[in-house]
Amino acid sequence: MKYSSFVLVLVLTAGLAFLVSRPFGQIPPLAPLLDPYHGFWQNSFSEDQLAEDELSMNNLTGPVEVVYDENLIPHIFAQNDLDLYRAQGYITAKHRLWQMEFQTMAAAGRVSEIVGPIAIDLDRMTRRKGLAFGAELGFKFLQEKDPETLSLVEAYADGVNQYIAQLTDARLPVEYKILNYRPEPWSAYKSLLLLKYMSDMLVGDRDLEYSNLRKILGEAGLNRLYPDFPKENDPVIEKERVWDFQPVTVNKPDSIAYPDDALTMGVLPQPTEGTGSNNWAVSGSKAKNGNPILANDPHLSLNLPSLWYSMQLSTPEHSVKGATLPGALGVISGFNEHIAWGVTNATRDTRDWYKITFKDDARNSYKYGSEWKATDFRIEEIKIKGEKAFIDTVVYTHYGPVVYDRTFKTDRQDVNFALRWVVHEGSNEQRTFLMMNKAKNHGDYQAALDHYSAPAQNFVFASKSGDVAMRIQGKFPLKWAQQGKFLMDGADPMMEWQGYIPNEHNASTLNPPRGFVSSANQHPVDPSYPYYVFDHTFEHYRNRRLNRRLTELNQITVEDMKGLQFDNYNLQAAEALPVMINLLGTHQVESAEAEKYLNELKSWDYFADPSKKGQTLYSIWFAETAESIWRDLMKNEVPLVRPTNYQTIELMTGSPNDPIFDIKGTDRIETAASHVQIGFDSLLVAMKKWEVEEGDYSWANYKKTTIQHLVPTFKSFSATNIYTGGGSGILNATGSRHGASWRMVVELGETMQAFGIYPGGQSGNPGSKFYDNFISVWANGEYLNFNLRSKEQTEGVLFKTVFKKD
Amino acid sequence: MRFIFLTILTALLVVFLNPIAPYWAVMLGIGVVSALIYPNGIGGWMGGGLGMGLTWLGQTIYLGIITSSSLPNKMGELMGLGSGMSLIGVTAVLGFILGGFSGWTGVLFRNMLQKQTKDIYRG
Repeated sequence: MKYSSFVLVLVLTAGLAFLVSRPFGQIPPLAPLLDPYHGFWQNSFSEDQLAEDELSMNNLTGPVEVVYDENLIPHIFAQNDLDLYRAQGYITAKHRLWQMEFQTMAAAGRVSEIVGPIAIDLDRMTRRKGLAFGAELGFKFLQEKDPETLSLVEAYADGVNQYIAQLTDARLPVEYKILNYRPEPWSAYKSLLLLKYMSDMLVGDRDLEYSNLRKILGEAGLNRLYPDFPKENDPVIEKERVWDFQPVTVNKPDSIAYPDDALTMGVLPQPTEGTGSNNWAVSGSKAKNGNPILANDPHLSLNLPSLWYSMQLSTPEHSVKGATLPGALGVISGFNEHIAWGVTNATRDTRDWYKITFKDDARNSYKYGSEWKATDFRIEEIKIKGEKAFIDTVVYTHYGPVVYDRTFKTDRQDVNFALRWVVHEGSNEQRTFLMMNKAKNHGDYQAALDHYSAPAQNFVFASKSGDVAMRIQGKFPLKWAQQGKFLMDGADPMMEWQGYIPNEHNASTLNPPRGFVSSANQHPVDPSYPYYVFDHTFEHYRNRRLNRRLTELNQITVEDMKGLQFDNYNLQAAEALPVMINLLGTHQVESAEAEKYLNELKSWDYFADPSKKGQTLYSIWFAETAESIWRDLMKNEVPLVRPTNYQTIELMTGSPNDPIFDIKGTDRIETAASHVQIGFDSLLVAMKKWEVEEGDYSWANYKKTTIQHLVPTFKSFSATNIYTGGGSGILNATGSRHGASWRMVVELGETMQAFGIYPGGQSGNPGSKFYDNFISVWANGEYLNFNLRSKEQTEGVLFKTVFKKD
Repeated sequence: MRFIFLTILTALLVVFLNPIAPYWAVMLGIGVVSALIYPNGIGGWMGGGLGMGLTWLGQTIYLGIITSSSLPNKMGELMGLGSGMSLIGVTAVLGFILGGFSGWTGVLFRNMLQKQTKDIYRG
């Protein structure tokens, strides 16, 4: 009896201990999670409560001092570059380990390992796009051509790994505890992968949609609704720029036969609308203090932990400060003691699709001119949490991976399309940032940019010596006019890219007479630029507002620049709303609601401030009107893209009676006015619903800006309903999920005066008080002091850690 | 008396062992302590349970006070429990169950080792 009762209870106890150590479906193991000494409770500490005065680190050549300011921004003081980047890796991992690993898992197509079968399609798409393939080539490129950069990237990886090696259960980021996995070692390859991931986020193409549009509208119709240049083109590089080089010749084939299949493949995810950025620099002649001022605010998906992590990195040779990308070395957007620089996405179609004709089902070779070219196979093993791995075979051609084939996202067995993208070529973006961090003048900036391929960026520059500059840098394929706008036939060698635009022919400007340089993702150049430039997503509003303001302003101060980054003026509304009100006429004149909304719209000053109701009403009305205008076109059951809002408004304003507005299948002939009225009716319906369900329709309450945790289902780790203004197409481009992910203003005087802010916090730990403490500052358009610090400076120090060599 | 003694020793064990060892090692420790102190079955269950449960409860409250973190509330919401308070309760109950079973097992282990004395008249 004694024996059996002991054995019974022992089995029960052991069973219980085992049970609470196991996950149940999506529920993580309970005991490790709830154990107050190791589980999530331990993540309640903020970093200052866990401060360490001294830590030891292997492979250092001298001591490294890390001084945290009161916002937990680390200032690293090292004796040399290797020690500096080793410490950067360690410190970044200390505050952002889960995020940096999660992002590279996403970039490698390994999300299924963490979340299970739900992510298989996403992972297949990522792998078929060849991001990991590109990173492998990038790694090989460093091994062969730039061992110096590679040794720094490896030092960074070593720093991350030394942090991981000493990580206790208690200090493990809470996301690992909830999702029940552990960090794996970091590597130089992962840092490169992260930069490829940025390309993926920022580069899109509409080749499939444009091919379909060409079939539906014909060449002339397409060019009319989707012109290459807008009527009022206000490009990145000023129109007056004279191109003082002899362009490389591009041979256009005499006849071009485009693949003419009915094209219904699933489209690649595109950068979301609202992804974009502003940057500018004004020269000393326009500034009150006579110093150049530079500003940058990249607009990206608003996420927690924030995409950016602020740091100062110092050696006896240089001191640089600004926003870093956890996982990449150096500062990405920032300034040093001599210069400042910033980035915006240089939107351009650099992704092209080639139809592949395989010889037979074995897919070992494909047609190319009069010969058959051999393919390569890349086997992708996608591990899945709780299930057997999924094996995907991706065929590689000399163009690149065949993304769409009989197994993936097409409903036709014979449709195969390969992706040509500069991401699949060896490149060295990391080197650009390492060199830029140390640049002292315009020449150094130019030299740094020569190493940069993708994603193409508009690099703004200002120096203490008084220069302001802009260069659109990326590896841009040489194309004949219209090449790559549509899907191309991969069997025809004439369809090949004919090389790349030489770096020195990339559009750039230095100290233009207008006294400023600026970019806002608009068209890069005037039609006089001798190379073909195309994209569907060029910005048409932020750029014009920005350049108008910069032209008007004189005696500019840092405060003016901060104000411009937070500028809520809706230029699109200012141009479209008067036209719409006019076209509305007396429609719904008898309705009291209509009168109320119309009066609010008429008295609105076009500023998308958080309390404004006019902005809400306009955004719904315009969206419904545009939806109505293009409904007939979008009814075609193939992937299509609508003409831009700019073009839509242009048509409504300039040709309101154009046949394009006529709705097929009705007895009457519709005009732009009909759509404006339909849009207004829809507005009334939408507002009735909103007023019943939500009540307040002031802009902030309507757009509900949310900064979402990287795992969207972790809702309580996100910040929702943030009271702030702005929106898409507005300089303060803060929409509901996208917006200014980092704002920086630097005045380049005798000592640099710098200000910065981002919507998040330095800590990646949702339990820390430094997780989201910047959000309210950011939402109010305020900034933190970002001046360079010296090692000796004592005010505003949160704590210090000294790394000693082990 | 032994039950109170076990409760105190279990609490001390959790305070000193748990920071360096996982919960299952603490459970083993409670089993050993319980076998040494040897209360009756209910005493073992309650002593181990209260010792571990109350210490876990105390630790979560202590962490809440010294960090003022919003994490317990966020986790409570994430786990569908509403607030951090319910999560404190769940943690304490889990600690109680784990400690209780461990204490009870210790007592039964000691029981098993006790010599069977037969035919003795205890008057």
